[in-house]
Amino acid sequence: MYKIMMFTGGVYKFSELKERVHDIGGFILQEMVMQTETMMHLAFPEEEERIIRDKAKETGGKLKELPLAGAEIMVVVPSLGKHHAVDPMCDIAEFLRRKGAITNMMGLARGVGKRIAQITAREKEIIEECDAAVFVFGDFKECLEVKSKICEAVDVPYIITGGEPEVNIEHYVGNIGRKTARMRHKEEIDMLELLTEKIELLINDRRRELDEDPLATSPLFMKEILDLVLPPKAGEEFSTIMQLEGLRVKVEAGDEEKLKNIEIGKRKLSDICEIKKSEYDGYILKILPEAVTGNVF
Amino acid sequence: MEVKVEGGGEFCDASYEKICMSTLRDISLESNIDSVYMNCNAAEHVFIISVKIGRVQSPITVSDMTIRGDERLTVTTETYVPKLLDLLWDRYGEKVEQISRLEIALKIGDDEMQKLMSQVVYDPRVDLNTRILDGIDRILPEGARVRQPIHSSGRITIIASENPIKEEWKEKAKAMLSKMTKGDL
Repeated sequence: MYKIMMFTGGVYKFSELKERVHDIGGFILQEMVMQTETMMHLAFPEEEERIIRDKAKETGGKLKELPLAGAEIMVVVPSLGKHHAVDPMCDIAEFLRRKGAITNMMGLARGVGKRIAQITAREKEIIEECDAAVFVFGDFKECLEVKSKICEAVDVPYIITGGEPEVNIEHYVGNIGRKTARMRHKEEIDMLELLTEKIELLINDRRRELDEDPLATSPLFMKEILDLVLPPKAGEEFSTIMQLEGLRVKVEAGDEEKLKNIEIGKRKLSDICEIKKSEYDGYILKILPEAVTGNVF
Repeated sequence: MEVKVEGGGEFCDASYEKICMSTLRDISLESNIDSVYMNCNAAEHVFIISVKIGRVQSPITVSDMTIRGDERLTVTTETYVPKLLDLLWDRYGEKVEQISRLEIALKIGDDEMQKLMSQVVYDPRVDLNTRILDGIDRILPEGARVRQPIHSSGRITIIASENPIKEEWKEKAKAMLSKMTKGDL
């Protein structure tokens, strides 16, 4: 199993660290050099952590664990109006990004109110393209109890956040609710930490399930190949987004055939993946289990 | 400005008090409002908010926000500059030129300049109700889109719900209002 971490430090021996990551069979997911400062997201086999830590220490940099790395999370609010945006919606999304997740934000078309709150089939499909979802609701217990029912339709792990501290709902994190200012106080940060921990548990459960029935290939490996074959356009960021069971690939309409024919080991990509046009952005590649595809390499 | 929220439970009341304070402060209404009372009944999804209008700033004239110079005005309060420029361009057209951020050149005679200094640039009373209603809209839960105003002098009271507003809620709001008029809030 791979471990994903973030390295921050200077340029001293930075290239040596990158070489070391490749040497032990790891991947560089994201890299940014800002004059003398560097930042890098790296993935490497869990058992090689000591080697990476030693090298990072040698360069004088710091390594930080990214518990949500490799997961795409949808932050869902009842609407994109001023009642819910920008706080606490953006605070939650920012905190999840700090923990390594790729986040999307979504406002429901008819998510406001109590009795009138709804989720459309298309919204449900868009949410289900991600690995997990965070529903950000308001303060009132009565509304939360009713609204939690619209979340039950969603077929991915989810967390509901709201204001009332204690509500009898599964996967609930309270004490957040409606905010009119940035969440920067200690008790607010603690709630965001708690929220991240709960999502981490859900994501880890899914990771464990995938370990028991492993995928034909790792999304990390596939991302590396796709980035080589279909390199991102100039100025384009995150053309390939990692998910737990695959990738979201943003390719132009004409490149779809090219994408299907990319060779992964001995097989074509279309043989080992379910390829689906995303309802939201790009294509979703869902890697099939090795038990279905057989050995790829 | 005094804010009191009832009926939503300990956490919700405290949260909505904060929402009321910061929303009204954001749209610069803090000094124009004496008190806000809000009653939340989430079980029936009825929210009643009553805002007591306080003292309103007197109209801002050109002399309040600028210092008169030789064929020019030096701005002392920048907040109302767009409104002042609007007024000047409308009246004098090409005779007006904004030299720098705080300097406006005016090619007009002394008498005209004298008259101009007493002109009203902005009267906060004109759009006060609109601004308060905007504030109320930001405070009330988004789903409570059915609104019913209750008329009374010196106050703006709104009943909001996602359901048609029943007669009993109107009566309740009126009773609440008369109690508030007698009391502190």
